[in-house]
Amino acid sequence: MLEPYFQWMNDLAVSKAIGESIWIYPLVQAIHLLFLALFAGSLLIVDLRLMGWGMREQPVAKVARDARPWMILGFLGLVVTGMPQLMQNAMREYFSDFFWIKMYVLPVALIYTFTIRHRVAMADESRVAPAMSKLTGLASILLWIGGVAIPSRLIGLFT
Amino acid sequence: MADLFTPLHDLFFYVSELSSSIELRESQYVWSLFEVAHVVSMCLFAGLIIMMDLRLLGIGNMQSPFSQLQKRLFPWQMLGMALSAITGSVLVFGDPMRFYANIFFWLKMLMMVIAGVNAMAFHYIAYFSVDSWDNARVPPLGAKLAGALGVALWGFVIIAGRLIPYNWFQNN
Repeated sequence: MLEPYFQWMNDLAVSKAIGESIWIYPLVQAIHLLFLALFAGSLLIVDLRLMGWGMREQPVAKVARDARPWMILGFLGLVVTGMPQLMQNAMREYFSDFFWIKMYVLPVALIYTFTIRHRVAMADESRVAPAMSKLTGLASILLWIGGVAIPSRLIGLFT
Repeated sequence: MADLFTPLHDLFFYVSELSSSIELRESQYVWSLFEVAHVVSMCLFAGLIIMMDLRLLGIGNMQSPFSQLQKRLFPWQMLGMALSAITGSVLVFGDPMRFYANIFFWLKMLMMVIAGVNAMAFHYIAYFSVDSWDNARVPPLGAKLAGALGVALWGFVIIAGRLIPYNWFQNN
């Protein structure tokens, strides 16, 4: 259904220019990884805390409020550096199952993070069952690392 | 100069001919498993290092005392480092000659050594006085410097690592 759209993206002059330069694409990939590290760090510091590990002497809400701007910055950086990679490889991505897994899990992970996870992290800790808190952190890691990050790496390995 | 590197070359070459090394680079699934595990370990290690460095720079995680981040994130950073080192070593074991001839691989190794020295220097110099700036909004210059160097050096490690597949300067 989306194939013509991907073909259009593939044929854009910008996409061709990215493909023809020997250094733009590798550099974009490298910067994508830097933003991944920032995003993962600000995600994990909260998820570990939700699971009762890491910064456990600090209230969850404090850790989460501090991490939030960096998580958003990391995410935006990932999108900005992800787009040129998608454009340059539009047809390869279109035919990759891993790309579509990533694209289906991504909105779920995003909505989950800004609704359920946000609410649990900001709630009065005495009113959140430890099991609920643990499950919230675990689900976040599974969605982002298992559902988004790992399939992303697999796109390039299996084409 | 060439003589100096001969033992290293011979070691890498010796490993490359082991049947386990050959099997590893010819197995797409096992190889990919370690590639994926290496990135996930990097997320844990570099991610939590960045979280600590932001606090050192005085721009992130400011509601927590520095010593809290240091104490509570340290075991996870070490776990991330151990997993990165193990998965990375397996990848080198599986294709030694590719890495031996790669400038980005050696740049990455060099940056890791410098980043390690930076971490040690911080630990024995600036962290010594942590009690006096643990809650400070503006950490001392030494702490800021260690944080900036940490982000920059580990950032270069990540960039160099990602560029290994693009061997622009390879000479065989």
